[in-house]
Amino acid sequence: MEAILVDSVQNSLRHFLHSNAIFLSHRLCAQFPSETNLQLLAGCYLQSNQAHSAYHILKGTQMAQSRYLFAISCFQMNLLNEAEATLCPANEPSAEVPNGSAGHYLLGLIYRYTDRKKNAVHHFKMALSMDPLMWAAYEELCILGSAEEAVAFFGEAAALCIQKQYLNFSTSPKLHSSTEDCNLVDTRHCVSEDASPRQSKLMQGLKDISGNHHGAPVLGGTSGQPINSGLSNISFYNTPAPTMTQLSGVAPPLCRNVQPNGSNMSTQSAENSPRSTVNSTIQARRKFVDEGKLRKISGRLFSDSPRRSSRLSGDASVNANPNTTAVSGNGTNYSSKHLGGSKPSSRAFRSVTVRKGQPWANENIDEGNHNDILDDSLLNITSTTSTSSSTMEAKSYEQEAANIPVGGQVLSSSKVITGASEILTLLRVLGEAFRLACLYRCQDALETYQKLPHKHYNTGWVLSQVGKMYYEFDYLEADRAFGLARQMTPYNLEGMDVYSTVLYHLKEDMKLSYLAQELIQTDRLAPQSWCAMGNCYSLQKDHETALKNFQRAVQLNPRFAYAHTLCGHEYVALEDFENGIKCYQSALRVDERHYNAWYGLGMVYLRQEKFEFSEHHFQMAFQINPQSSVILSYLGTALHALKRSEEALVVMEKAILADKKNPVPMYQKANILMSLEKFDEALEVLEELKEYAPREISVYALMGRIYKRRNMHERAMLHYGIALDLKPSATDAAAIKAAIEKLHVPDEMDDNL
Amino acid sequence: MSLEMAAESSEGEEEGKLSGGNQVLIVDEDLRELGKKAAWSVSSCKTGNGVSSLRDDNLETYWQSDGAQPHFVNIQFQKKVRLQLVVLYVDFKLDESYTPSKISIRAGDGFHNLKEIKAVELVKPTGWLYLSLSGLDPRETFVNTFMLQIAVLSNHLNGRDTHVRQIKVYGPRPNPIPQQPFQFTSTEFITYSTIR
Repeated sequence: MEAILVDSVQNSLRHFLHSNAIFLSHRLCAQFPSETNLQLLAGCYLQSNQAHSAYHILKGTQMAQSRYLFAISCFQMNLLNEAEATLCPANEPSAEVPNGSAGHYLLGLIYRYTDRKKNAVHHFKMALSMDPLMWAAYEELCILGSAEEAVAFFGEAAALCIQKQYLNFSTSPKLHSSTEDCNLVDTRHCVSEDASPRQSKLMQGLKDISGNHHGAPVLGGTSGQPINSGLSNISFYNTPAPTMTQLSGVAPPLCRNVQPNGSNMSTQSAENSPRSTVNSTIQARRKFVDEGKLRKISGRLFSDSPRRSSRLSGDASVNANPNTTAVSGNGTNYSSKHLGGSKPSSRAFRSVTVRKGQPWANENIDEGNHNDILDDSLLNITSTTSTSSSTMEAKSYEQEAANIPVGGQVLSSSKVITGASEILTLLRVLGEAFRLACLYRCQDALETYQKLPHKHYNTGWVLSQVGKMYYEFDYLEADRAFGLARQMTPYNLEGMDVYSTVLYHLKEDMKLSYLAQELIQTDRLAPQSWCAMGNCYSLQKDHETALKNFQRAVQLNPRFAYAHTLCGHEYVALEDFENGIKCYQSALRVDERHYNAWYGLGMVYLRQEKFEFSEHHFQMAFQINPQSSVILSYLGTALHALKRSEEALVVMEKAILADKKNPVPMYQKANILMSLEKFDEALEVLEELKEYAPREISVYALMGRIYKRRNMHERAMLHYGIALDLKPSATDAAAIKAAIEKLHVPDEMDDNL
Repeated sequence: MSLEMAAESSEGEEEGKLSGGNQVLIVDEDLRELGKKAAWSVSSCKTGNGVSSLRDDNLETYWQSDGAQPHFVNIQFQKKVRLQLVVLYVDFKLDESYTPSKISIRAGDGFHNLKEIKAVELVKPTGWLYLSLSGLDPRETFVNTFMLQIAVLSNHLNGRDTHVRQIKVYGPRPNPIPQQPFQFTSTEFITYSTIR
């Protein structure tokens, strides 16, 4: 009865029938109370975005998998302390982190959001070393500014690591004869597997992602369960139908790309999007990375799953290990293994692990963690199995053409390593490009992205990243790149907040409102949509409404740094500096390398004439983004206000060099030169600027002022006249007119403007 | 708020006399309302018709004074601000003998040194009235002051107390870029003037 119930639950999950799954799981737990079944129940709740329930169910449990699931629930409920305590029990400092790389990833996130950067970095690195395909961890490292070159993580060693993992899988004794359906299940599973870790992350960010993932993890678990229960009865496993169904069930959900089984995922994504922070970004990226690959794999999915599943089942049965963790892990592992078929073995492997764990794709971490758990359990299984396994293992290693079940396919070990290398090559390029992007080495990053094959470059994710790089120095190109990204993947929200800012800068109010409308329609619960909407209002100078929209974005996802920064900008526009400062500081709490917030703070202090503070904050922004001419220009302004005019000039020169198209530092340079009484040099600069921006009133006005100081009254009059003709603002018009009146009056120290 | 000032208003001006009044409040985009930064007080008021009715953006509510003339509305800022325009909403049709007739606007550092900067006489006004504080000299476009006082010296039909339904004060928008002598006007400059 237990096995059937488990099977049925997994089936429901696979089909996103959450209420059915939850109901049946409750019956299961009532009839057969065991921690494994509790995990399944919690999994159902997590899949349907009810982390609270999962939290209560798993509170106090001890199995590694349970602790992992519990930690996920805590993280989703923002109870970071508890999550940390579960993963790293205080009284067992050397305990292994449950679910291996996934667990480390989750820990990394926890440490990041509790301001312990070093620990976070350490755990992300651990996660990557255990699972080289955990892109999300590498992304986090980049965002924290602590990533080493991509080649260090996605290199040869990684390929070997992946192969080893698969080999371990394959060594499980092939106890079962072929079991039919596993095929479909496996392949799909495998495919989804590959996508799953990433996809779960993506799912968070992307509403469009089908809920496949969610199904998969649970299924993995459930398949594990029946296996457990069926331990005594190997024949049960051999029975194709139940096992198969389970596996099949597992597969489809995971294969997001293969079968956009949208419902589950979408809802979850929707719910998750408010919560998705970096995860969504990571997911989005991963999604794009995976898409191409997944499609390839799905083609090859429908191959040998039955063999796989039988093998897995065999393993399960062989492993009479009472250790539930292992068992559950095994279960998932098995299923995942099956599923991963078409994709290169490493991928399949990944997907397997992911599957097992976590139905709640909301958290990428889950995905990662699951993978690890699966891997571990598999390893456990293989290790705990009798020597027969090990001998088999040895045999398989020795065999040249060793057949490794990977994602529903059987690949030779050489193929595994080739496949792994292929993936890693791709990840290396993407990783390196992303790392450079986070360091704001825009040209280098763009060049690296160019190295991608066309089919990868022309995906929404990559194009969004390219857009973000162009945003730093060329709004028109950024507009183009983002436009293409939207064509490729209109449902992608990641990076769209930056796009809306690009349109804001370009003053394209039509395009901006269109974008905002589309984004809101795509996903009302994504912070990016409300950021775009807010930018719309801000462009029309309706700062109060803009602020409301940005605050909504913050509510939807407090870990989305940009929303905080935009709130800050609006407060400053409304001259509420206190709140503006608070918002900028919130943004920096989320992401201390968010240079926009440092810049925002610098501007506020500049306005408040707290020049020391201002200079410090511009310095911080500059250190993060050294190629921004705007930051340099303001740094120079602050230095000039501090009377460090020589330094200011040096900085202005740098600013001018950083971006020839930016006229502001040149203007500032002229200003500084004038205050240093180097009038001729100032005039020279301004003459140049006249060519560049012939309708810029401030150029003529400043020239007028300088000519007055040089007592060249006619020239001064000429320039003031031109300035007035260009219709300045009331304040400036008044100032200029006043200046004209005073032309023949001897110099006053500072015009009181 | 956009568009030009009072151009379409049915306001007539004749030697400091104002009549008519806009129904719609339209103010230059160059200007922004500064009332939120000030402390508002009145010389006297009837319960339920206090100073808050002057600032509630509701034309149904009004301030009613309760004492001898002249009646004052005092607007005090924490630091010197540049003011360019005062806008009042008064309506003879609704308020009749409570409608202000002679208004004097004073400015200064505090109660001790207020000086009159504007005086107008209203003739059956019916809506928003724009009282510009600018002088003829371009240097006098703005009044740079700590305090503004709007004094109602007399009412229509010799009424004792007065009704004013709303008051707003406007000054120029500051330069969005701090520490700049002039505002940027061209796209080339504006695009590069901030990071968002």
